[in-house]
Amino acid sequence: MTEVAENQGPGVPNEGMQGVPTPSVRQFGCVNWRGLWTLYHREVKRFFKVFTQTLAAPVVTTLLFYTIFTVALQNRVGTVGSVPFAEFLAPGLIMMTILQNSFANTASSMMTSKIQGNIVDVLMPPISPLEMLCGFLGGGVTRGFIVGISATAAMSVLVDFPFHNIGAILFFSLTASVMLALLGMVGGIWAEKFDHMAAITNFVIVPMSFLSGTFYSIHRLPELWQTVAQFNPFFYAIDGFRYGFIGQGDAPFWLGASVMIGVNILLFLFVHQMLVSGYKLKS
Amino acid sequence: MTRRPDLLLGGIPVARRFGLVNWLGLATFFRREMSRNFKIWKITLAAPAIRAILFASVFGLAIDQDSTLIGNLPFMAFLIPGLVAVAALERAFESSAFSIVYDKVEGIFGDLAVLPLTPGELVLGFSAAAVSGSLIVSAVVWAALLPFGGSLPQNPLAMVFFVSVGSLMVGLFSQISGLWARKWDYITSVQTFVFLPFVFFSGVFFSLDALPDFLLPVARANPVFYIVDGIRFSLTGQAEVSPLFGALICVAVTAFLWGVSYRLFSVGYRMKS
Repeated sequence: MTEVAENQGPGVPNEGMQGVPTPSVRQFGCVNWRGLWTLYHREVKRFFKVFTQTLAAPVVTTLLFYTIFTVALQNRVGTVGSVPFAEFLAPGLIMMTILQNSFANTASSMMTSKIQGNIVDVLMPPISPLEMLCGFLGGGVTRGFIVGISATAAMSVLVDFPFHNIGAILFFSLTASVMLALLGMVGGIWAEKFDHMAAITNFVIVPMSFLSGTFYSIHRLPELWQTVAQFNPFFYAIDGFRYGFIGQGDAPFWLGASVMIGVNILLFLFVHQMLVSGYKLKS
Repeated sequence: MTRRPDLLLGGIPVARRFGLVNWLGLATFFRREMSRNFKIWKITLAAPAIRAILFASVFGLAIDQDSTLIGNLPFMAFLIPGLVAVAALERAFESSAFSIVYDKVEGIFGDLAVLPLTPGELVLGFSAAAVSGSLIVSAVVWAALLPFGGSLPQNPLAMVFFVSVGSLMVGLFSQISGLWARKWDYITSVQTFVFLPFVFFSGVFFSLDALPDFLLPVARANPVFYIVDGIRFSLTGQAEVSPLFGALICVAVTAFLWGVSYRLFSVGYRMKS
């Protein structure tokens, strides 16, 4: 029976009793790969449909930031550590846009589904909370990567990146976008209205991505804030990513990497628990 | 049923009469726009203030403030008027356009066409809301930046004038963009690809002298530059061009945009379809 169903695929009627065709249930193993893929596919199509808003706008904004900061500050700042200011700034800005876009993707998707009431379309199908989590996460990470790669490509026209350590660049863009996509899910599940979401973006995500070393080395901060920065995962994301580009960082590589992995595991378990319990989703 | 005697003719309600301007309608429309903008005051007031503080801190941390002068001004004194201007103009842009597109997406924008409001009154209502919103936001942002080295305006009247004319200009541009937009992503595109570059290259963050020579005439052709320069003049007394000349340019551009917006509302462009 199982074999028949798998061979014929979903929706193809089996020969039931007395020759009357009855639709059969698609069988799958411990992972519903097709369900997961479908959700991921929807998440990606969702942001591609408005790509001027979700992909082009962030890249243009990043370039604008780069231009105004270099024009305003280049002659006044000179070098940070041993690299020119422009070279220091560019990776920070790229990471900033990765952080903000990974967050925005899962947060707005979750939020819109909740407001429009079509979140049931994700809760009803035979996908587990884990698969649901991975589908959303995949969408956020994909947007983070596309924006990050486009911004890097656009920037490399203006800045001569040394690309010191590609591995570190990839590692930190992956862990940072996973972290923010997970945070986006927490925000999207928690928020009840769009202005809750806008408040989280404006009062938490933007300040965190601005103040965590995008524009300056944390050695410029007062003692107290330097200590605070050491507990801020955004700082490790930006610092490690920049290290990959210019080979110079404020924190040791292994420390940044372990913080990112640790924070991600905790967040992942937390969001998974949220989905399992149905917090604010299944009322 | 109305209880107002002037609206009853032998017990039967009749249409309210008004003179040249439907003041009641205009005031109602203005109130709707204002309450729409400030219902989410956390976003319309607190967010610009936070953003301005972020920019001020980031620039402040990235440079040595004591040694940096632009013209005769310390860097922060130069930057703060720019940040106030950005906040005021952003509010003006978001005010009318977002309201129009919201109504369009909800399918109720056509209602404006059947109200007893003339196109002139609609333009006036949208503009008045944009200007009032911007004046409030600029006051809040200015106050929020006081601890970062802000100062009392040298010329308060000029300040009110430049914030008003600047937000009127951008507010009219926002009405035009809103009428043109069919969906949200139209308007966010205008914001990112047109409005933001105009604002960022208007001398908010740097003196235009910092630009390469060949770009200077281009930057001077940007009307937003005259708004920012005027606001900086009002706050600090330092300006790159004569404030009077700047004011004239602002008024001329605003008058032109008023004409365009009035025309579009009159013909019902993408409104009565």
